[in-house]
Amino acid sequence: MKKFLAQAYLWILLVLLYAPLFFIGIFSFTESRVLGNWTGFSTKLYANLFSGSMQGSGSLISAVENTLLIAVVSAFVSMMLGTIAAVGIHNLRGRKKQAVSFLNNIPMINPDVITGVSLFLLFVFLHFSQGYLTVILAHISFGTPYVVLSVLPKLRQMNPNIYEAALDLGATPRQALWKVLVPQLRPGMVSGFFLAFTMSLDDFAVTFFTRGTIGLDTLSTYIYTDARKGGLTPELRPLMTLIFLIILILLVIINVRQEKMNKSTSK
Amino acid sequence: MKKSLIMLAAAALLCSCAQDRSQILKVYNWSDYIDETVIGEFETWYEEQTGEPVKVIYQTFDINETMLSKIEKGHEDYDVVCPSDYIIERMLANDLLLPIDRDFGETPNYIDENMSPYVYDCFSKMIGGGKNANDYAVGYMWGTTGLIYNAKYVSEEEVSTWDVLRNPKFADKIFIKDSARDVFSQIILFLRQDDIRGGKVTPDELMLDSSDEALADVEAFMKQVKPLVAGWEADFGKDQMTQERGWISLNWSGDAVWAIEEAAEMGVDLRYSLPKEGFTVWFDGWVIPKYAQNTKAAKYWINFMSRPDIVIRNVDETGYVSASGSTEVLEAFVDEELDPIDLTYFFGADADSVRVDPVLYPSRADIERSAMEHDWGEKTPDLVAMWGRVKGENANAMTIIVIGVVLAVIVAVGLYRRFGKKRNGRKRRR
Amino acid sequence: MKLKRSHWSIPYVVFMAIFVVLPLLLILVYAFQDGSGHFTLSNITRFFSDSDALGTFAVSIEVAIENTLICILLGYPAAWILANKDLNRSAVTIILFIMPMWINALMRTLATAELFNTLGITLGKGTLLFGMVYDYLPFMIYPIYNVLNKMDKSYAEAAQDLGATPWQVFWKITVPLSMPGISSGVLMVFMPTVSTFAISEFLTNNKIKLFGTIIQENINSSMWNYGAALAFIMLIIIGISTLFTGDDEREAEGGLI
Repeated sequence: MKKFLAQAYLWILLVLLYAPLFFIGIFSFTESRVLGNWTGFSTKLYANLFSGSMQGSGSLISAVENTLLIAVVSAFVSMMLGTIAAVGIHNLRGRKKQAVSFLNNIPMINPDVITGVSLFLLFVFLHFSQGYLTVILAHISFGTPYVVLSVLPKLRQMNPNIYEAALDLGATPRQALWKVLVPQLRPGMVSGFFLAFTMSLDDFAVTFFTRGTIGLDTLSTYIYTDARKGGLTPELRPLMTLIFLIILILLVIINVRQEKMNKSTSK
Repeated sequence: MKKSLIMLAAAALLCSCAQDRSQILKVYNWSDYIDETVIGEFETWYEEQTGEPVKVIYQTFDINETMLSKIEKGHEDYDVVCPSDYIIERMLANDLLLPIDRDFGETPNYIDENMSPYVYDCFSKMIGGGKNANDYAVGYMWGTTGLIYNAKYVSEEEVSTWDVLRNPKFADKIFIKDSARDVFSQIILFLRQDDIRGGKVTPDELMLDSSDEALADVEAFMKQVKPLVAGWEADFGKDQMTQERGWISLNWSGDAVWAIEEAAEMGVDLRYSLPKEGFTVWFDGWVIPKYAQNTKAAKYWINFMSRPDIVIRNVDETGYVSASGSTEVLEAFVDEELDPIDLTYFFGADADSVRVDPVLYPSRADIERSAMEHDWGEKTPDLVAMWGRVKGENANAMTIIVIGVVLAVIVAVGLYRRFGKKRNGRKRRR
Repeated sequence: MKLKRSHWSIPYVVFMAIFVVLPLLLILVYAFQDGSGHFTLSNITRFFSDSDALGTFAVSIEVAIENTLICILLGYPAAWILANKDLNRSAVTIILFIMPMWINALMRTLATAELFNTLGITLGKGTLLFGMVYDYLPFMIYPIYNVLNKMDKSYAEAAQDLGATPWQVFWKITVPLSMPGISSGVLMVFMPTVSTFAISEFLTNNKIKLFGTIIQENINSSMWNYGAALAFIMLIIIGISTLFTGDDEREAEGGLI
């Protein structure tokens, strides 16, 4: 009974979270230009997406590619940088700790526009030509705080003497790091990665201000600029639906494989 | 890890060197504002005409001011950009534009061949530090600002005046564009209608009125409108009109065309009204910013964009109205089912009786009531501040209670930790 | 060890110096200038004398507090259930909570607004909070889940052996031990909420104005001076207040052996 209630609670939350996505999915099967208007069932938008008869499909595809590249790279670097930083911050005390924590919080407090504009000014000031590299650096700068905040709780929870104990028992610092410290922190690192990845995917203002003039578009910049004149391109609805389904399927596969692994290890 | 580093390096390299800059054209335009097949054709045409190859990098922006900021403060090297009228004015006044010379060798000059006298006239009224905007900008698309309305609930007569915004009959059914300048311009025309009729002031002159008095009057009017407003929208008001969540929307003609079409598919009858007190016209035009590095290809681009067949394709794809005065373009819009109107101001003497949709091209009678907006320049902060006061803030008792309670809790917890510990003498460290 | 582990923070500090502090200084220059480049404090004083801006700031704080509280109320049980091996055996269920965030925010929020419209729910404060919680719930669930997942069960068991009721175990053992997760979650939810604006545009038809909106408006009207000043003020006020909650964390840390 307890299990049923618990599961029900999770399911209710999930249904609420996914309702808008189902909404998009349903309306990907109609040709209307306004999300929410139903002008009859049609798979034309899907056809347009793949046949290339949609205007700007080329730039849309490259936008998706850019988005993934930038998100994965910046989230990964954030994860590494943030984990090391978290260990450092955890071992600081007093004023220094407060100062570094404050610095860490700044990107989260600042509105995206300010982060974007300030980084833009930075790259102009440094005469740094803007493009992929500047966007990735910018994304790292606002993604890392999330990693830090994800890893810190694990550090606090961890027994502080574990590392020393491992060394005492004969492990090299490297072994102690990889076999003792990292496994303890890994859940925090993984969540941090996902959070930084998510922030990068969704970002518009920072990307807009740091992308330079090379024609770099991410899904966010594509969609936000698209909304301005003539309404949101309807083909975005099937695109989003497909992206979402692909991820969902991947998740199911991973889950099934995990179950199999669990079953085989428990045997 | 290594792979991504290599990809990074490659990407960085690709961007920084490789192609010769004189063979690249960087175009900066609004999204959904061009027929993209035209871009490839331009590259072919350019090579035919000049013997040099060119690759177009096409980038989109969504807000004039951020586009301008990046060019102004970052010296971004876009070659040709399509700003709105007041930004063209600002760029002109701040010396951020290069003149567009018409030296195309053997290639025809489509720009001047198809220049609409009306567009030329409006551009010359731009205040740009003594320079004539026509030397620095070429119109691309244009339109009007008016009221989209749902014919089922709103009568043509009701919506023929800007005062309809204060009509309590339409409470919670009115959408206003969240654009201080656009709204201000319409309302000032309404408020000064007696002066206009009495010949004391022209709409054009009113567009230059940024006095405190004008600001106060418009603010007072808008504060009366505010309770009736269903939303201050930026992009999705036209969507909501097609769903009948609103019955009146202050909007631009380009969006009106779109909304009317989309609404028709849903069985909703939307129409567009240009109120009798006056309205504003807007232009988006091509300019060559100061930091452009390929001005040659830039001016050829503008020339190509002015070619009538290209104009028609862009208009067909985007649904907006071109600023071109070519008769070919006019003919593409003739619809025998419509009543004839007088468009001589736009297309020249022959166009005195053409069957064209007045939502696209207002008739001469309507245009007399219109004016083009100007850049508020240094008075922009006052305008933005006024708009902020109109929209107001929403702090209420709840706000104070919530914040007060939380602060109290934080203080209480803080005090407890400080003094509670001492009392219990707990030491938690080993 | 000569190389203290606190020194591990140095690479990040250097990184932040370049990519956070320096840009901030560059934009602070604008905050203290007027339109013609002269030094002035007028942008700052303008905020404190403008009742609209102050009111909007207060509303943003209020919404941020409410959002954080709701996220804790909804997120803690969710994290607890997800971390409880009896109730949930799948490790990937938690990813389901963050996946909606991978659909672009504009479309997601637009779809949420449309959903409300279709269901006939009027847009306003309630829908705004829904949208906020929607976007920020994963940021609360993740850190709490991570802490609960690897929590040493022996404390809870010892307490029960000594006669504590499940309720007491929960409040006196589980919650205090999960404080690090809760405080991370609070920071990751509260701080960004104050500066969000896009959600309020769609889910209240722009009728409820948040502080982020004002800053956005100013930057988008080329009024960088005032916009930068507002951002600076917000940074100081929020930043300093989060430092105070940082003090409490040290107490919780001391509670862990």
